[in-house]
Amino acid sequence: MTVRNSIRFIGLVLLQVLILNHISLGGYVNPYLYVLFILWLPFSTERWVLLLSAFLLGFSVDIFSNTLGLNAAASVIMAFARPFVISMISTGTDFEPTSRPSIRGQGMRWFLPYAVTLVLLHHFVLFYLEVFRFSEFFPTLLRVLLSSAFTLGLVFLAEYLTVRKR
Amino acid sequence: MRNLYLFFRKHYFYFLFLLLETVSLILLFNYNQFQNAAVYTWSDQAAGTVNGMFRNISEYFSLRSTNRVLTEEIAQLQSRMPEAFYMADTATFFVKDTMYRSEYRYIAARVLSNTTNKRNNFIMINKGRMHGVQTSMGVVIGNRLVGQVVGVSRHFSWVMSLLNKDSRISAKFKKNNQLVNVEWSGGNYRVGSVKEIPKHFEILPGDTIITSGNSEIFPEGVLVGTIKDFTVLPDENFNSARIVFSTDFNSLGYVEVVVDMMKMEKEELKNSFQSK
Repeated sequence: MTVRNSIRFIGLVLLQVLILNHISLGGYVNPYLYVLFILWLPFSTERWVLLLSAFLLGFSVDIFSNTLGLNAAASVIMAFARPFVISMISTGTDFEPTSRPSIRGQGMRWFLPYAVTLVLLHHFVLFYLEVFRFSEFFPTLLRVLLSSAFTLGLVFLAEYLTVRKR
Repeated sequence: MRNLYLFFRKHYFYFLFLLLETVSLILLFNYNQFQNAAVYTWSDQAAGTVNGMFRNISEYFSLRSTNRVLTEEIAQLQSRMPEAFYMADTATFFVKDTMYRSEYRYIAARVLSNTTNKRNNFIMINKGRMHGVQTSMGVVIGNRLVGQVVGVSRHFSWVMSLLNKDSRISAKFKKNNQLVNVEWSGGNYRVGSVKEIPKHFEILPGDTIITSGNSEIFPEGVLVGTIKDFTVLPDENFNSARIVFSTDFNSLGYVEVVVDMMKMEKEELKNSFQSK
């Protein structure tokens, strides 16, 4: 499990900094697929592992994009919120602790609000910290929404691509 | 004491969160873009190496546009060769005349990584302290403006692109030297904004904006862009306009760092008047 997660960590960071960081549609929309790592951590992950790995994840992306602390801050907030989001939407749902969140395991009605809430939170923090100005509130909000949609599209694509293997 | 320990143990998740978040924000606000860029030289080196390897491959995909830019630049340089000039009076001009000292030197550099899709964009180039690059030097491509060096390590440099919220270019209208400021307000990477145009001043779409040469970063006359359209703000003291950048930031392959060889002299002169 650890090995698989480590490979996923490195793969997602490289994918993000080498390819996805260079994608932009109309100057507004950039996907941040690396958050998939946090979404996909097993339910049984210790909470300190969750926070620390999220920090390292964001920090690695930061090193390559000269935004020291920016992605780290957003990822840590996202990781912090994850247990609360899970407990909020999982009333009555039972899952094996070793499995990871997925559409196949928990169903679309569970996974959709889970992914949407966390990705929106991450992008919101990320874009507003980057701009750090209230004068650009609405253009930034538009960027948050469009980029979240793009990222979520890729997250669901990744979900469907991996569903057969398991 | 034991209770305190139990308290921490019970709520460690919150404390760890606060700790990591604080560390991130300290990094974000202290060690960013500017003066402190030297702090993360080691991460710079690592990022430079990885980006360079990837760039070696991805360069092939943009050969066409790189070629176009280079050809344009050659054409421009050729038009400045002595052979391109019509000699009206051969008796007045010598190349080795002491009246003509070169003021600027250019260091060619390859772009290793570059973004246009963020609010604050940076460019990494493969020349560093070893090659004579220093912070706050200007970066151009041909005769068009690119940005300003904000961090230098041994082999690499970080350049703050014009596409950055902290980038502010002292520029002027070519037609009558009216000074203005050029900024980028996000969104489209081809379009920026010109601030502080006095009310009485007539703007026309297509007016050329060039650097003013006041900032000691860029030589005078580097192309910034052309006016696209403008708005008249009745309640304000200044008008503002939108500008189409001359540089295509999405296809940067090679750039040049501007070295002002008389910078020391200029600063000494300045300081001699400010010493009190």
